[in-house]
Amino acid sequence: MTGTSTLRLNGGELTPSRSVLRLGSLKWRQATVGYLFLVPLIAGLLIFRFYAFGYNIWLSFTTAGAFGQPRFVGLDNYRRLFSDSQLVIALYNTVKFAAIAVPGVVIVSLLCALLMQYRFRGASIFRAIVFLPAVCLPTAIILVFGWLFQTQYGLINAAFHALGAEPMSWFGSETGVTAVVSIIVVYLSFSVPAIILYAGMQDLPSDVYEAAMLDGAGPVRRFFSITLPLLTPSLFFVILTSTIGILKLFDAVYLLLPPVDHSVSTNYGLTLVYYYYYLAFVDSGQRGYAAAVSLFLLLLILGVSIVLLRLQRRFVHYGEDG
Amino acid sequence: MMLQYRVQWWTYLVVSVVGLIILTPFAWMASTAIMTTSQTLQVPPNIIPSPATLDGVREVFNRLPFLTLLWNTIIVSIGRVIGTLVICSMAAYALAVVKVPGDKAILIVILALIMVPSDIFIIPSYSIIASIRMTDTLAALALPSLFDVFGVFLLYQFFRGVPRELIEAARIDGASHLRILATIVVPVARSGIISLAILTTLAEWKELLWPIVVNRSIDKMTLGPGLALLRGEYTTDWNVLMAAGLLAALPMIVIFLILQKRFIASFARSGLK
Repeated sequence: MTGTSTLRLNGGELTPSRSVLRLGSLKWRQATVGYLFLVPLIAGLLIFRFYAFGYNIWLSFTTAGAFGQPRFVGLDNYRRLFSDSQLVIALYNTVKFAAIAVPGVVIVSLLCALLMQYRFRGASIFRAIVFLPAVCLPTAIILVFGWLFQTQYGLINAAFHALGAEPMSWFGSETGVTAVVSIIVVYLSFSVPAIILYAGMQDLPSDVYEAAMLDGAGPVRRFFSITLPLLTPSLFFVILTSTIGILKLFDAVYLLLPPVDHSVSTNYGLTLVYYYYYLAFVDSGQRGYAAAVSLFLLLLILGVSIVLLRLQRRFVHYGEDG
Repeated sequence: MMLQYRVQWWTYLVVSVVGLIILTPFAWMASTAIMTTSQTLQVPPNIIPSPATLDGVREVFNRLPFLTLLWNTIIVSIGRVIGTLVICSMAAYALAVVKVPGDKAILIVILALIMVPSDIFIIPSYSIIASIRMTDTLAALALPSLFDVFGVFLLYQFFRGVPRELIEAARIDGASHLRILATIVVPVARSGIISLAILTTLAEWKELLWPIVVNRSIDKMTLGPGLALLRGEYTTDWNVLMAAGLLAALPMIVIFLILQKRFIASFARSGLK
Protein backbone atom coordinates (compact mmCIF):
# COMPACT_ATOMS: atom_id res chain seq x y z
CA MET A 1 0.00 0.00 0.00
CA THR A 2 2.72 2.45 0.93
CA GLY A 3 4.55 1.64 -2.29
CA THR A 4 1.63 2.50 -4.55
CA SER A 5 0.86 5.74 -2.77
CA THR A 6 4.48 6.85 -3.07
CA LEU A 7 4.45 5.99 -6.76
CA ARG A 8 1.35 8.05 -7.30
CA LEU A 9 2.91 10.91 -5.41
CA ASN A 10 6.11 10.71 -7.47
CA GLY A 11 4.30 10.54 -10.76
CA GLY A 12 1.88 13.29 -9.87
CA GLU A 13 3.87 16.19 -8.55
CA LEU A 14 7.62 15.64 -8.55
CA THR A 15 9.76 17.84 -10.75
CA PRO A 16 13.54 17.27 -10.95
CA SER A 17 14.41 20.39 -9.01
CA ARG A 18 12.06 19.54 -6.21
CA SER A 19 13.43 16.01 -5.98
CA VAL A 20 16.90 17.43 -5.33
CA LEU A 21 15.41 19.67 -2.70
CA ARG A 22 13.63 16.77 -1.06
CA LEU A 23 16.74 14.64 -1.14
CA GLY A 24 18.60 17.48 0.54
CA SER A 25 15.99 17.89 3.22
CA LEU A 26 15.91 14.12 3.77
CA LYS A 27 19.67 14.10 4.33
CA TRP A 28 19.32 17.06 6.60
CA ARG A 29 16.55 15.34 8.55
CA GLN A 30 18.67 12.21 8.89
CA ALA A 31 21.55 14.28 10.19
CA THR A 32 19.27 16.04 12.66
CA VAL A 33 18.13 12.69 14.05
CA GLY A 34 21.77 11.59 14.22
CA TYR A 35 22.78 14.71 16.13
CA LEU A 36 19.82 14.26 18.46
CA PHE A 37 21.12 10.76 19.19
CA LEU A 38 24.49 12.27 20.04
CA VAL A 39 23.05 14.90 22.38
CA PRO A 40 23.10 12.84 25.63
CA LEU A 41 26.69 11.72 25.10
CA ILE A 42 27.99 15.12 24.04
CA ALA A 43 26.12 16.94 26.81
CA GLY A 44 27.60 14.54 29.37
CA LEU A 45 31.10 14.84 27.94
CA LEU A 46 30.83 18.62 27.84
CA ILE A 47 29.96 18.67 31.54
CA PHE A 48 32.02 15.79 32.97
CA ARG A 49 35.03 16.01 30.66
CA PHE A 50 35.45 19.40 29.01
CA TYR A 51 33.95 21.68 31.64
CA ALA A 52 35.48 19.48 34.36
CA PHE A 53 38.88 19.72 32.71
CA GLY A 54 38.67 23.51 32.38
CA TYR A 55 37.44 23.80 35.94
CA ASN A 56 40.32 21.62 37.13
CA ILE A 57 42.82 23.88 35.37
CA TRP A 58 41.18 26.96 36.86
CA LEU A 59 41.20 25.37 40.34
CA SER A 60 44.90 24.68 39.99
CA PHE A 61 45.52 28.45 39.91
CA THR A 62 43.59 29.04 43.11
CA THR A 63 43.55 28.16 46.78
CA ALA A 64 40.29 26.27 46.92
CA GLY A 65 39.29 24.54 50.14
CA ALA A 66 36.30 22.55 51.25
CA PHE A 67 34.58 25.81 52.22
CA GLY A 68 34.67 29.37 51.04
CA GLN A 69 35.42 30.90 47.69
CA PRO A 70 38.58 29.89 45.79
CA ARG A 71 41.16 32.68 45.69
CA PHE A 72 43.30 33.22 42.59
CA VAL A 73 46.99 32.72 43.38
CA GLY A 74 48.58 32.52 39.95
CA LEU A 75 51.34 29.98 39.61
CA ASP A 76 51.78 29.37 43.35
CA ASN A 77 50.48 25.80 43.20
CA TYR A 78 52.78 24.99 40.31
CA ARG A 79 55.75 26.47 42.16
CA ARG A 80 54.80 24.27 45.10
CA LEU A 81 54.86 21.20 42.82
CA PHE A 82 58.60 21.66 42.38
CA SER A 83 59.40 22.00 46.07
CA ASP A 84 57.03 19.41 47.53
CA SER A 85 58.88 16.48 49.10
CA GLN A 86 55.60 14.53 49.53
CA LEU A 87 54.99 14.78 45.80
CA VAL A 88 58.47 13.42 45.14
CA ILE A 89 57.65 10.44 47.38
CA ALA A 90 54.31 9.89 45.63
CA LEU A 91 55.90 10.10 42.18
CA TYR A 92 58.72 7.79 43.21
CA ASN A 93 56.32 5.19 44.64
CA THR A 94 54.00 5.35 41.64
CA VAL A 95 56.82 4.88 39.15
CA LYS A 96 58.37 2.16 41.32
CA PHE A 97 55.11 0.18 41.52
CA ALA A 98 54.71 0.46 37.75
CA ALA A 99 58.33 -0.57 37.12
CA ILE A 100 57.89 -3.72 39.22
CA ALA A 101 54.27 -4.64 38.57
CA VAL A 102 54.13 -4.13 34.78
CA PRO A 103 56.83 -6.75 34.06
CA GLY A 104 55.11 -8.93 36.67
CA VAL A 105 51.77 -8.64 34.88
CA VAL A 106 53.41 -9.39 31.52
CA ILE A 107 55.23 -12.48 32.80
CA VAL A 108 52.28 -13.94 34.72
CA SER A 109 49.78 -13.28 31.93
CA LEU A 110 52.17 -14.73 29.31
CA LEU A 111 52.55 -17.85 31.45
CA CYS A 112 48.79 -18.22 31.85
CA ALA A 113 48.20 -17.58 28.13
CA LEU A 114 50.78 -20.25 27.24
CA LEU A 115 49.20 -22.73 29.64
CA MET A 116 45.76 -22.05 28.17
CA GLN A 117 47.13 -23.17 24.80
CA TYR A 118 47.44 -26.72 26.04
CA ARG A 119 44.44 -29.04 25.78
CA PHE A 120 44.77 -30.76 29.13
CA ARG A 121 42.04 -32.25 31.27
CA GLY A 122 40.55 -29.52 33.42
CA ALA A 123 41.53 -26.77 30.98
CA SER A 124 38.16 -25.06 31.39
CA ILE A 125 38.54 -25.12 35.18
CA PHE A 126 41.98 -23.57 34.83
CA ARG A 127 40.55 -20.84 32.61
CA ALA A 128 37.86 -20.07 35.18
CA ILE A 129 40.52 -19.86 37.91
CA VAL A 130 42.61 -17.45 35.84
CA PHE A 131 39.59 -15.14 35.64
CA LEU A 132 38.59 -15.28 39.30
CA PRO A 133 40.79 -12.33 40.32
CA ALA A 134 39.24 -10.18 37.58
CA VAL A 135 35.64 -10.80 38.70
CA CYS A 136 36.18 -10.80 42.45
CA LEU A 137 35.57 -7.60 44.39
CA PRO A 138 39.03 -5.92 44.55
CA THR A 139 38.37 -4.69 48.10
CA ALA A 140 37.92 -8.29 49.27
CA ILE A 141 41.12 -9.42 47.54
CA ILE A 142 43.16 -6.50 48.85
CA LEU A 143 41.95 -7.09 52.41
CA VAL A 144 42.71 -10.82 52.23
CA PHE A 145 46.26 -9.97 51.15
CA GLY A 146 46.44 -7.58 54.08
CA TRP A 147 45.50 -10.53 56.27
CA LEU A 148 47.95 -12.93 54.59
CA PHE A 149 50.80 -10.49 55.16
CA GLN A 150 49.71 -9.45 58.66
CA THR A 151 52.80 -9.22 60.83
CA GLN A 152 51.83 -11.20 63.96
CA TYR A 153 49.19 -13.69 62.84
CA GLY A 154 49.54 -13.70 59.06
CA LEU A 155 50.03 -16.87 57.06
CA ILE A 156 53.08 -15.59 55.15
CA ASN A 157 55.05 -14.75 58.27
CA ALA A 158 54.06 -18.12 59.76
CA ALA A 159 55.47 -19.78 56.63
CA PHE A 160 58.65 -17.67 56.97
CA HIS A 161 58.95 -18.79 60.57
CA ALA A 162 58.41 -22.46 59.65
CA LEU A 163 61.16 -22.19 57.04
CA GLY A 164 63.50 -20.70 59.60
CA ALA A 165 63.50 -17.19 58.13
CA GLU A 166 62.96 -13.98 60.08
CA PRO A 167 59.31 -12.85 60.07
CA MET A 168 58.97 -9.51 58.33
CA SER A 169 57.09 -6.35 59.23
CA TRP A 170 55.41 -6.10 55.83
CA PHE A 171 53.64 -2.81 56.43
CA GLY A 172 56.40 -1.19 58.44
CA SER A 173 59.14 -1.10 55.84
CA GLU A 174 59.50 0.22 52.33
CA THR A 175 60.56 -3.16 50.93
CA GLY A 176 57.61 -4.84 52.62
CA VAL A 177 55.01 -2.37 51.33
CA THR A 178 56.55 -2.43 47.84
CA ALA A 179 56.46 -6.25 47.76
CA VAL A 180 52.89 -6.57 49.06
CA VAL A 181 51.48 -3.80 46.84
CA SER A 182 53.23 -5.17 43.73
CA ILE A 183 51.97 -8.70 44.39
CA ILE A 184 48.41 -7.43 44.86
CA VAL A 185 48.55 -5.31 41.71
CA VAL A 186 49.83 -8.23 39.62
CA TYR A 187 47.23 -10.54 41.14
CA LEU A 188 44.38 -8.11 40.41
CA SER A 189 45.44 -7.25 36.87
CA PHE A 190 46.90 -10.27 35.05
CA SER A 191 43.59 -11.91 33.99
CA VAL A 192 42.53 -9.62 31.17
CA PRO A 193 46.07 -9.44 29.67
CA ALA A 194 46.15 -13.25 29.80
CA ILE A 195 43.07 -13.57 27.56
CA ILE A 196 44.33 -10.82 25.23
CA LEU A 197 47.69 -12.60 24.82
CA TYR A 198 45.91 -15.94 24.46
CA ALA A 199 43.73 -14.51 21.68
CA GLY A 200 46.87 -13.08 20.08
CA MET A 201 48.53 -16.52 20.15
CA GLN A 202 45.53 -18.03 18.35
CA ASP A 203 46.17 -15.73 15.40
CA LEU A 204 49.83 -16.68 14.93
CA PRO A 205 50.50 -18.50 11.63
CA SER A 206 51.03 -22.23 12.19
CA ASP A 207 53.23 -22.69 9.09
CA VAL A 208 56.02 -20.70 10.74
CA TYR A 209 55.92 -23.13 13.66
CA GLU A 210 55.92 -26.14 11.37
CA ALA A 211 58.94 -24.79 9.51
CA ALA A 212 60.74 -24.10 12.79
CA MET A 213 60.02 -27.60 14.04
CA LEU A 214 61.32 -29.11 10.81
CA ASP A 215 64.49 -27.09 11.37
CA GLY A 216 64.70 -28.65 14.81
CA ALA A 217 63.84 -25.64 16.98
CA GLY A 218 62.81 -26.72 20.47
CA PRO A 219 59.85 -25.28 22.41
CA VAL A 220 61.99 -22.69 24.23
CA ARG A 221 63.61 -21.51 21.01
CA ARG A 222 60.20 -21.39 19.29
CA PHE A 223 58.79 -19.31 22.13
CA PHE A 224 61.57 -16.71 22.07
CA SER A 225 62.18 -16.63 18.31
CA ILE A 226 58.62 -16.92 17.00
CA THR A 227 55.91 -16.49 19.62
CA LEU A 228 57.30 -13.42 21.38
CA PRO A 229 58.22 -11.40 18.25
CA LEU A 230 54.93 -12.21 16.52
CA LEU A 231 53.01 -11.42 19.68
CA THR A 232 54.46 -7.90 20.07
CA PRO A 233 51.24 -6.09 19.00
CA SER A 234 49.25 -7.76 21.80
CA LEU A 235 52.17 -7.45 24.20
CA PHE A 236 52.41 -3.77 23.47
CA PHE A 237 48.72 -3.28 24.15
CA VAL A 238 49.03 -5.17 27.44
CA ILE A 239 52.06 -3.10 28.51
CA LEU A 240 50.34 0.19 27.62
CA THR A 241 47.06 -0.55 29.42
CA SER A 242 48.65 -2.03 32.52
CA THR A 243 51.14 0.83 32.80
CA ILE A 244 48.34 3.40 32.67
CA GLY A 245 46.32 1.31 35.12
CA ILE A 246 49.16 1.14 37.63
CA LEU A 247 50.09 4.83 37.29
CA LYS A 248 46.65 5.60 38.71
CA LEU A 249 46.90 3.01 41.47
CA PHE A 250 44.73 3.89 44.43
CA ASP A 251 42.59 1.11 45.89
CA ALA A 252 45.33 -1.23 47.17
CA VAL A 253 47.39 1.46 48.89
CA TYR A 254 44.33 3.21 50.29
CA LEU A 255 42.92 0.02 51.81
CA LEU A 256 46.24 -1.29 53.15
CA LEU A 257 47.52 2.02 54.48
CA PRO A 258 44.41 4.02 55.39
CA PRO A 259 44.82 7.78 55.79
CA VAL A 260 43.34 7.71 59.32
CA ASP A 261 46.49 6.05 60.64
CA HIS A 262 48.73 9.10 60.13
CA SER A 263 51.60 6.66 60.31
CA VAL A 264 54.89 7.01 58.48
CA SER A 265 54.19 3.74 56.67
CA THR A 266 51.51 5.55 54.61
CA ASN A 267 54.45 7.24 52.90
CA TYR A 268 55.74 3.89 51.65
CA GLY A 269 52.55 3.41 49.68
CA LEU A 270 51.64 7.00 48.85
CA THR A 271 50.79 7.15 45.13
CA LEU A 272 49.90 10.21 43.06
CA VAL A 273 46.16 9.50 43.05
CA TYR A 274 46.25 8.76 46.79
CA TYR A 275 48.13 12.02 47.34
CA TYR A 276 45.68 14.26 45.53
CA TYR A 277 42.72 12.40 47.00
CA TYR A 278 44.24 13.04 50.43
CA LEU A 279 44.92 16.71 49.69
CA ALA A 280 41.45 17.37 48.31
CA PHE A 281 39.18 15.30 50.52
CA VAL A 282 40.94 14.26 53.73
CA ASP A 283 43.42 16.93 54.69
CA SER A 284 41.36 20.12 55.17
CA GLY A 285 40.57 20.30 51.47
CA GLN A 286 43.52 21.79 49.62
CA ARG A 287 41.64 21.39 46.35
CA GLY A 288 43.57 23.99 44.40
CA TYR A 289 46.89 22.28 44.94
CA ALA A 290 45.27 18.84 44.56
CA ALA A 291 44.01 19.93 41.13
CA ALA A 292 47.57 20.85 40.16
CA VAL A 293 48.79 17.42 41.32
CA SER A 294 46.05 15.68 39.31
CA LEU A 295 47.09 17.60 36.20
CA PHE A 296 50.66 16.53 36.86
CA LEU A 297 49.49 12.90 36.88
CA LEU A 298 47.60 13.47 33.63
CA LEU A 299 50.76 14.82 32.01
CA LEU A 300 52.72 11.84 33.33
CA ILE A 301 50.18 9.37 31.90
CA LEU A 302 50.05 11.13 28.53
CA GLY A 303 53.85 11.38 28.43
CA VAL A 304 54.31 7.70 29.20
CA SER A 305 51.66 6.78 26.61
CA ILE A 306 53.41 8.84 23.94
CA VAL A 307 56.81 7.34 24.76
CA LEU A 308 55.34 3.81 24.61
CA LEU A 309 53.60 4.58 21.30
CA ARG A 310 56.94 5.82 19.90
CA LEU A 311 58.70 2.68 21.09
CA GLN A 312 55.93 0.62 19.52
CA ARG A 313 56.83 1.91 16.07
CA ARG A 314 60.38 0.76 16.55
CA PHE A 315 59.87 -2.62 18.16
CA VAL A 316 56.44 -3.93 17.33
CA HIS A 317 56.25 -6.40 14.51
CA TYR A 318 53.04 -6.22 12.48
CA GLY A 319 53.16 -8.96 9.78
CA GLU A 320 53.46 -7.97 6.09
CA ASP A 321 49.95 -6.60 5.72
CA GLY A 322 50.04 -4.46 8.87
CA MET B 1 45.08 -21.49 14.40
CA MET B 2 48.19 -22.51 16.16
CA LEU B 3 49.72 -25.93 16.60
CA GLN B 4 48.41 -27.76 19.58
CA TYR B 5 51.08 -28.30 22.16
CA ARG B 6 51.63 -31.82 23.41
CA VAL B 7 50.53 -32.20 27.01
CA GLN B 8 53.24 -33.63 29.23
CA TRP B 9 53.45 -34.38 32.92
CA TRP B 10 55.07 -31.04 33.66
CA THR B 11 52.15 -29.23 32.02
CA TYR B 12 49.94 -30.64 34.77
CA LEU B 13 52.52 -29.70 37.39
CA VAL B 14 52.82 -26.08 36.23
CA VAL B 15 49.06 -25.72 35.76
CA SER B 16 48.37 -27.08 39.26
CA VAL B 17 50.96 -24.84 40.89
CA VAL B 18 49.70 -21.71 39.10
CA GLY B 19 46.07 -22.62 39.79
CA LEU B 20 46.73 -23.25 43.47
CA ILE B 21 48.63 -19.98 43.89
CA ILE B 22 45.70 -18.08 42.37
CA LEU B 23 43.24 -19.92 44.61
CA THR B 24 45.21 -19.53 47.87
CA PRO B 25 43.84 -16.08 48.80
CA PHE B 26 40.28 -17.30 48.17
CA ALA B 27 40.85 -20.44 50.24
CA TRP B 28 42.36 -18.45 53.09
CA MET B 29 39.49 -15.97 52.95
CA ALA B 30 36.94 -18.80 53.11
CA SER B 31 38.80 -20.58 55.89
CA THR B 32 39.19 -17.46 58.04
CA ALA B 33 35.54 -16.55 57.47
CA ILE B 34 34.39 -19.60 59.44
CA MET B 35 36.82 -19.19 62.35
CA THR B 36 36.20 -17.49 65.67
CA THR B 37 38.15 -14.33 66.37
CA SER B 38 40.38 -16.14 68.86
CA GLN B 39 41.11 -18.85 66.30
CA THR B 40 42.46 -16.17 63.97
CA LEU B 41 44.89 -15.02 66.67
CA GLN B 42 46.80 -18.27 67.07
CA VAL B 43 50.51 -18.64 66.53
CA PRO B 44 51.22 -20.64 64.45
CA PRO B 45 47.91 -20.17 62.57
CA ASN B 46 45.49 -23.04 62.11
CA ILE B 47 44.74 -23.51 58.46
CA ILE B 48 41.59 -25.55 58.98
CA PRO B 49 39.08 -23.93 61.34
CA SER B 50 38.12 -26.26 64.18
CA PRO B 51 35.39 -26.02 65.12
CA ALA B 52 33.97 -24.11 62.16
CA THR B 53 31.52 -21.40 63.14
CA LEU B 54 29.24 -18.87 61.50
CA ASP B 55 29.89 -16.25 64.22
CA GLY B 56 31.91 -14.13 61.82
CA VAL B 57 29.19 -14.22 59.19
CA ARG B 58 26.56 -13.23 61.78
CA GLU B 59 28.78 -10.43 63.02
CA VAL B 60 29.00 -8.98 59.49
CA PHE B 61 25.28 -8.27 59.58
CA ASN B 62 25.59 -6.67 63.03
CA ARG B 63 28.37 -4.31 62.04
CA LEU B 64 27.45 -3.47 58.47
CA PRO B 65 24.13 -2.79 56.74
CA PHE B 66 25.27 -5.56 54.41
CA LEU B 67 21.96 -6.07 52.60
CA THR B 68 21.66 -2.32 52.01
CA LEU B 69 25.16 -2.28 50.54
CA LEU B 70 24.36 -5.25 48.31
CA TRP B 71 21.06 -3.69 47.23
CA ASN B 72 22.80 -0.36 46.49
CA THR B 73 25.43 -2.14 44.43
CA ILE B 74 22.78 -3.95 42.39
CA ILE B 75 20.67 -0.81 41.87
CA VAL B 76 23.63 1.37 40.91
CA SER B 77 25.01 -1.33 38.58
CA ILE B 78 21.67 -1.78 36.82
CA GLY B 79 21.16 1.96 36.54
CA ARG B 80 24.66 2.49 35.21
CA VAL B 81 24.37 -0.37 32.71
CA ILE B 82 21.02 0.85 31.34
CA GLY B 83 22.18 4.47 31.19
CA THR B 84 25.47 3.56 29.54
CA LEU B 85 23.84 1.25 27.01
CA VAL B 86 21.21 3.84 26.02
CA ILE B 87 23.66 6.73 25.71
CA CYS B 88 26.39 4.70 23.99
CA SER B 89 24.16 2.85 21.56
CA MET B 90 22.41 6.05 20.46
CA ALA B 91 25.75 7.77 19.92
CA ALA B 92 27.25 4.74 18.17
CA TYR B 93 24.18 4.55 15.92
CA ALA B 94 24.60 8.19 14.91
CA LEU B 95 28.27 7.60 14.11
CA ALA B 96 28.17 4.14 12.53
CA VAL B 97 24.76 3.96 10.85
CA VAL B 98 23.51 7.52 10.21
CA LYS B 99 27.11 8.73 9.73
CA VAL B 100 26.28 12.33 10.62
CA PRO B 101 28.46 15.02 9.03
CA GLY B 102 31.51 15.48 11.25
CA ASP B 103 31.45 11.86 12.46
CA LYS B 104 35.19 11.46 11.91
CA ALA B 105 35.98 14.48 14.07
CA ILE B 106 33.70 13.20 16.84
CA LEU B 107 35.37 9.78 16.67
CA ILE B 108 38.81 11.35 17.00
CA VAL B 109 37.66 13.25 20.10
CA ILE B 110 36.24 10.00 21.51
CA LEU B 111 39.49 8.11 20.87
CA ALA B 112 41.48 10.91 22.49
CA LEU B 113 39.20 10.87 25.54
CA ILE B 114 39.69 7.09 25.93
CA MET B 115 43.33 7.89 26.69
CA VAL B 116 42.38 10.22 29.56
CA PRO B 117 41.52 8.28 32.73
CA SER B 118 38.43 9.45 34.59
CA ASP B 119 40.27 9.36 37.94
CA ILE B 120 41.87 12.64 36.91
CA PHE B 121 38.45 14.31 37.10
CA ILE B 122 37.36 13.41 40.62
CA ILE B 123 37.88 16.91 42.04
CA PRO B 124 35.87 18.82 39.40
CA SER B 125 33.30 15.98 39.19
CA TYR B 126 32.78 16.26 42.92
CA SER B 127 32.30 20.03 42.58
CA ILE B 128 29.75 19.50 39.79
CA ILE B 129 27.82 16.92 41.80
CA ALA B 130 27.99 19.10 44.92
CA SER B 131 26.76 22.17 43.03
CA ILE B 132 23.60 20.32 41.95
CA ARG B 133 23.23 19.03 45.54
CA MET B 134 23.50 15.39 44.58
CA THR B 135 26.22 14.23 46.96
CA ASP B 136 25.25 11.28 49.13
CA THR B 137 22.84 9.87 46.56
CA LEU B 138 22.96 6.60 44.66
CA ALA B 139 22.51 8.45 41.37
CA ALA B 140 25.73 10.39 42.00
CA LEU B 141 27.68 7.13 42.03
CA ALA B 142 26.78 6.32 38.43
CA LEU B 143 26.17 9.73 36.82
CA PRO B 144 29.71 10.78 35.75
CA SER B 145 30.51 7.35 34.28
CA LEU B 146 27.43 7.09 32.06
CA PHE B 147 29.18 8.94 29.24
CA ASP B 148 31.48 6.08 28.46
CA VAL B 149 33.68 6.90 25.46
CA PHE B 150 35.13 3.38 25.37
CA GLY B 151 31.57 2.01 25.25
CA VAL B 152 30.72 4.24 22.29
CA PHE B 153 33.80 3.05 20.44
CA LEU B 154 33.09 -0.63 21.23
CA LEU B 155 29.49 -0.38 20.01
CA TYR B 156 30.59 1.72 17.01
CA GLN B 157 32.71 -1.21 15.84
CA PHE B 158 29.83 -3.65 16.27
CA PHE B 159 27.22 -1.37 14.68
CA ARG B 160 29.40 -0.89 11.61
CA GLY B 161 29.14 -4.62 11.04
CA VAL B 162 25.34 -4.57 10.82
CA PRO B 163 24.37 -5.28 7.17
CA ARG B 164 23.42 -2.07 5.36
CA GLU B 165 20.60 -3.82 3.45
CA LEU B 166 18.73 -4.55 6.68
CA ILE B 167 18.77 -0.89 7.63
CA GLU B 168 17.90 0.37 4.12
CA ALA B 169 14.99 -2.07 3.96
CA ALA B 170 13.65 -0.83 7.27
CA ARG B 171 14.07 2.79 6.13
CA ILE B 172 12.06 2.08 3.00
CA ASP B 173 9.34 0.54 5.16
CA GLY B 174 9.24 3.85 6.98
CA ALA B 175 10.72 2.74 10.29
CA SER B 176 12.11 5.52 12.48
CA HIS B 177 15.76 5.57 13.49
CA LEU B 178 14.84 4.81 17.08
CA ARG B 179 12.90 1.79 15.89
CA ILE B 180 15.74 0.59 13.64
CA LEU B 181 18.18 0.96 16.51
CA ALA B 182 15.98 -0.99 18.92
CA THR B 183 14.66 -3.70 16.60
CA ILE B 184 17.50 -4.27 14.10
CA VAL B 185 20.86 -2.84 15.14
CA VAL B 186 20.79 -3.79 18.81
CA PRO B 187 19.62 -7.39 18.24
CA VAL B 188 22.14 -7.96 15.42
CA ALA B 189 24.98 -6.45 17.46
CA ARG B 190 23.84 -8.02 20.72
CA SER B 191 27.18 -9.59 21.57
CA GLY B 192 28.67 -6.09 21.65
CA ILE B 193 25.80 -4.88 23.83
CA ILE B 194 26.26 -7.83 26.21
CA SER B 195 30.01 -7.23 26.39
CA LEU B 196 29.50 -3.57 27.24
CA ALA B 197 26.91 -4.53 29.88
CA ILE B 198 29.32 -7.00 31.50
CA LEU B 199 32.31 -4.63 31.40
CA THR B 200 30.18 -1.79 32.83
CA THR B 201 28.85 -3.96 35.67
CA LEU B 202 32.37 -5.08 36.57
CA ALA B 203 33.63 -1.50 36.44
CA GLU B 204 30.93 -0.45 38.89
CA TRP B 205 31.76 -3.31 41.28
CA LYS B 206 35.39 -2.28 41.24
CA GLU B 207 34.75 1.39 41.92
CA LEU B 208 36.32 2.67 45.13
CA LEU B 209 37.73 6.18 44.75
CA TRP B 210 34.63 7.92 43.40
CA PRO B 211 32.16 6.43 45.94
CA ILE B 212 34.28 7.42 48.94
CA VAL B 213 34.69 10.91 47.50
CA VAL B 214 31.08 11.65 46.63
CA ASN B 215 29.13 9.74 49.29
CA ARG B 216 29.70 9.91 53.03
CA SER B 217 26.87 7.96 54.66
CA ILE B 218 27.15 4.21 54.84
CA ASP B 219 23.61 3.53 53.57
CA LYS B 220 24.48 5.27 50.29
CA MET B 221 27.59 3.15 49.69
CA THR B 222 28.26 0.15 47.49
CA LEU B 223 29.89 -3.09 48.65
CA GLY B 224 33.52 -2.31 47.83
CA PRO B 225 33.89 0.94 49.79
CA GLY B 226 31.39 -0.26 52.44
CA LEU B 227 33.59 -3.24 53.18
CA ALA B 228 36.56 -0.97 53.80
CA LEU B 229 34.70 0.50 56.79
CA LEU B 230 34.95 -2.85 58.60
CA ARG B 231 38.67 -2.33 58.93
CA GLY B 232 38.79 -1.27 62.53
CA GLU B 233 40.57 1.83 63.72
CA TYR B 234 41.87 -0.03 66.80
CA THR B 235 41.72 -3.77 66.14
CA THR B 236 40.51 -5.77 63.21
CA ASP B 237 38.50 -8.97 63.58
CA TRP B 238 39.85 -10.78 60.58
CA ASN B 239 37.20 -13.49 60.64
CA VAL B 240 34.44 -10.85 60.33
CA LEU B 241 36.34 -9.00 57.63
CA MET B 242 36.96 -12.18 55.63
CA ALA B 243 33.34 -13.31 56.03
CA ALA B 244 32.23 -9.93 54.70
CA GLY B 245 34.71 -10.16 51.82
CA LEU B 246 33.50 -13.61 50.90
CA LEU B 247 29.82 -12.61 51.04
CA ALA B 248 30.52 -9.51 48.96
CA ALA B 249 32.61 -11.33 46.36
CA LEU B 250 30.29 -14.31 45.94
CA PRO B 251 27.44 -12.78 43.88
CA MET B 252 29.77 -11.72 41.06
CA ILE B 253 31.71 -15.00 41.17
CA VAL B 254 28.43 -16.95 40.82
CA ILE B 255 27.32 -14.75 37.91
CA PHE B 256 30.73 -15.25 36.31
CA LEU B 257 30.58 -19.03 36.64
CA ILE B 258 27.14 -19.05 34.99
CA LEU B 259 28.06 -16.67 32.15
CA GLN B 260 31.73 -17.70 31.85
CA LYS B 261 31.92 -17.68 28.04
CA ARG B 262 30.28 -14.26 27.81
CA PHE B 263 32.65 -12.83 30.42
CA ILE B 264 35.75 -14.14 28.71
CA ALA B 265 34.59 -12.86 25.31
CA SER B 266 33.97 -9.45 26.90
CA PHE B 267 37.44 -9.36 28.42
CA ALA B 268 38.95 -10.21 25.06
CA ARG B 269 36.96 -7.34 23.53
CA SER B 270 38.22 -4.89 26.10
CA GLY B 271 41.47 -5.25 24.14
CA LEU B 272 39.90 -4.05 20.88
CA LYS B 273 41.95 -1.32 19.36
